[in-house]
Amino acid sequence: MPSSTSSSERLGLGSPQQHSPLRDIPQAPWPRILWAAVLVCAALLGAWEAYWRSEWFVPSIRNSDGLWALTRTRIQTEGGHGTVVVSSSRLLFDLHLEAWREETGQLPIQLGLEGTSPRPFLADVARDTAFKGLVVVGVTPPLFFPPPGGERLTALAFAKQWSPADQFGQQVSMRFVEPVFAFYDPDTALFTVLKRQPFWPQRPGLPPQMPKVRKLANTRSTRQSDMWDKVERDPAYQKIARDTWLAFINAPRPPLPPPEVLKKGFEALLAEVAGDVRRIRERGGEVVFVRAPSSGPFLAAENGGFPRERTWEPLLQATDAVGIHFEDHADLRDVELPEWSHIAAGDTDRFTRALVRHLREALVAKGTPRQELGR
Amino acid sequence: MTFNSLTFVVFFAIVLALHHAPWTSWRTKKIQLLVASYLFYAAWNPPFIVLLWISTFIDWHAAKRIHAAETPVARRGWMLVSVCANLGFLGYFKYGGFLLENWQALMTALGVAWQAPAWDIVLPVGISFYTFQTMAYSLDVYLRRAAPTRSLLDFSLFVTFFPQLVAGPIVRPADLVPQFAEPPAPVPGRLSWGLGLMVLGLFQKVVIADGMLAPAADAVFGAKETLAWSDAWLGTLAFSGQIFCDFAGYSTTAIGASLALGFSLDDNFRYPYAAVGFSDFWRRWHVSLSTWLRDYLYVPLGGNRLGSLRTYVNLMVTMLLGGLWHGASWNFVIWGGLHGTYLGVERFIRERVGPSRLASTLPFQIALAMVTYFLVNLTWVFFRAREFRTAWRMVVSMLTFGEGARVLATADVVLVLSAVLSILVVHGLMRERSLEQVVARAPWWLTASVVGSMLFVLVISQASSNAFIYFQF
Repeated sequence: MPSSTSSSERLGLGSPQQHSPLRDIPQAPWPRILWAAVLVCAALLGAWEAYWRSEWFVPSIRNSDGLWALTRTRIQTEGGHGTVVVSSSRLLFDLHLEAWREETGQLPIQLGLEGTSPRPFLADVARDTAFKGLVVVGVTPPLFFPPPGGERLTALAFAKQWSPADQFGQQVSMRFVEPVFAFYDPDTALFTVLKRQPFWPQRPGLPPQMPKVRKLANTRSTRQSDMWDKVERDPAYQKIARDTWLAFINAPRPPLPPPEVLKKGFEALLAEVAGDVRRIRERGGEVVFVRAPSSGPFLAAENGGFPRERTWEPLLQATDAVGIHFEDHADLRDVELPEWSHIAAGDTDRFTRALVRHLREALVAKGTPRQELGR
Repeated sequence: MTFNSLTFVVFFAIVLALHHAPWTSWRTKKIQLLVASYLFYAAWNPPFIVLLWISTFIDWHAAKRIHAAETPVARRGWMLVSVCANLGFLGYFKYGGFLLENWQALMTALGVAWQAPAWDIVLPVGISFYTFQTMAYSLDVYLRRAAPTRSLLDFSLFVTFFPQLVAGPIVRPADLVPQFAEPPAPVPGRLSWGLGLMVLGLFQKVVIADGMLAPAADAVFGAKETLAWSDAWLGTLAFSGQIFCDFAGYSTTAIGASLALGFSLDDNFRYPYAAVGFSDFWRRWHVSLSTWLRDYLYVPLGGNRLGSLRTYVNLMVTMLLGGLWHGASWNFVIWGGLHGTYLGVERFIRERVGPSRLASTLPFQIALAMVTYFLVNLTWVFFRAREFRTAWRMVVSMLTFGEGARVLATADVVLVLSAVLSILVVHGLMRERSLEQVVARAPWWLTASVVGSMLFVLVISQASSNAFIYFQF
């Protein structure tokens, strides 16, 4: 480290004559360069946009942590008396929010997050003293019953430290960028596209990697998420979606802990969920559980790994809550599941109206009707 | 707000338009910039803006009192007010938890049962940067290197100037305050060149640091198991590239944004991975911090004026504190200690061997540069690892060619190697050149194509607003 004098020794303060040396500006025809650079960028972006539109992409709202946080704020801004949905992807994709609004008079606050356990989100709503309404909890057994996890758990932390800059950026993005550009989708991000190309050889010594879940839905600003056309109508893409699920279903699992450990863990889970339900009820709220449809290998794996009588039934018993299981209702079973796990966009309206009806009837039968469900 | 966010794009467009509006006076433009800078900072966490005001207030008054003081005791007293206030902020927000944690460990070691209170303090963004910047102002006045500025507006803008507020370059008062005194003379191309530098800086951050390198570095440093030497090296190389592109990207964007507004900031990086030796490295890496430490710590400690042994001690103290400046963790102290050791060993060798014809040949210089890069990479392991145990495990794998798990897929390996090799080639070629010289010689259509293509790749990378690494410091 040299011991030369600092620049401060050479320069004083407060005198315009003593400016530090200005940076060099390269001699070049800058206006021409600037415009040409903008044109180059615009031309390349135009081609990129055209390519992704040809691949069935359409402009849609990003299902980002920012959109989730914005939706979460509705609990406060709407007075805490509405309906909140906490779930993994099933109820996120399966519910038709406009149909729900038509049935009940209220637009639900959709807080479902794909591939993520809803339990931390139920606990978050339970802690929120502003909330006094109805919580609809989606139960996808492989995500609900194991210890909470999932990539989108970050949404909770993000919402708690959501800065003013983040909030402004979310508004700009969802009003002026996302509704315009089809390529502005996480599935088309440059390095995501690059890494999923089939030409990369398997690296020797590296354990087989789980495939990344590809785009399944288009999201709206309400977080209404409709299954993407391509999943329903492009057999090759539908196969990719199904193969992804098969890879998850057939992935080698670590050995299960001893039965007494499992039992203790499950009892702790029930106690935790029952505690959250109790807290919500103490404020005048209510919680209902929904097991949304699955089919094919997914249903077989779920029923095999998480038998209803040992998971779903004890959950309802421990929480003394209403639960709607799709297998109990013909109108909830009568839906198309193109990739075995989520309802086709065209069936979600009918499914949602039937679900609201079943919930309403079950709550009335239990003697706890809810005004959030209307009528 | 971060530079790589839509919020900043909107913010900067408005600031730029207002700043270049022909109908406003220079004073109005400066007030606009000051308000914009406060907004920029408040966009993270509004209450922390009070810290900026307190810092501005204390150093503005302390410098005036130092200048007006008639006795050495009074001068020293006001200087200490400034130093204590600034270091007090840093100590409370940045080192409070670390000190408590280590105090508790010491008490436990001595057999005293004492539980430290919970220390749940949010670190204000950029506090290490702006406290050093304002402290430099009071110290310059105390050391009679400069007189206090007469304009509170100019001083406030110096403390708060948004392009470099949260991650530097740490600007000296003498370099920036005079630029606020009057409107800059018009220079053709300054605005466009500034915007071009912003594109380059954001490309470094978003495409290279976040897109190509961060996933590999995160996977390697997040691994719980012992890694194969290949992956340990790949992760370390990835981080060496990531931290450079992240931080140099911020600095380049800051320099570009300042230039677009008509102000000049000095370079903060000068192709450091082409450094031949460690004193050369520190003339090229985070230049504004290394010169700050030199002028306000190393030289006041006696520098190289008090004999050979004291010089080594001063070097080590400076680098250890430089390490600690980055964060409240022993790993940063180790990082600083390694650099202090490297500098000391280099000085020792230089004093005994002296210049030779062999040492100035190109192959020898390249070999020395490679040794420098290799040893710098070892320090990055301690800088990046969350725990000493992880760092040690990594270093052992790297140096012993140890067996272990592989965590990087082929695509990550290719991305890391291509990015790191590109960085090294660019640094090697640009070692004795400046970007301005290269651009001045390039045909205009090539510059336009490169800038347009970088902007395109930047957009399609779909950056999230990932914070810059140095924000946490």
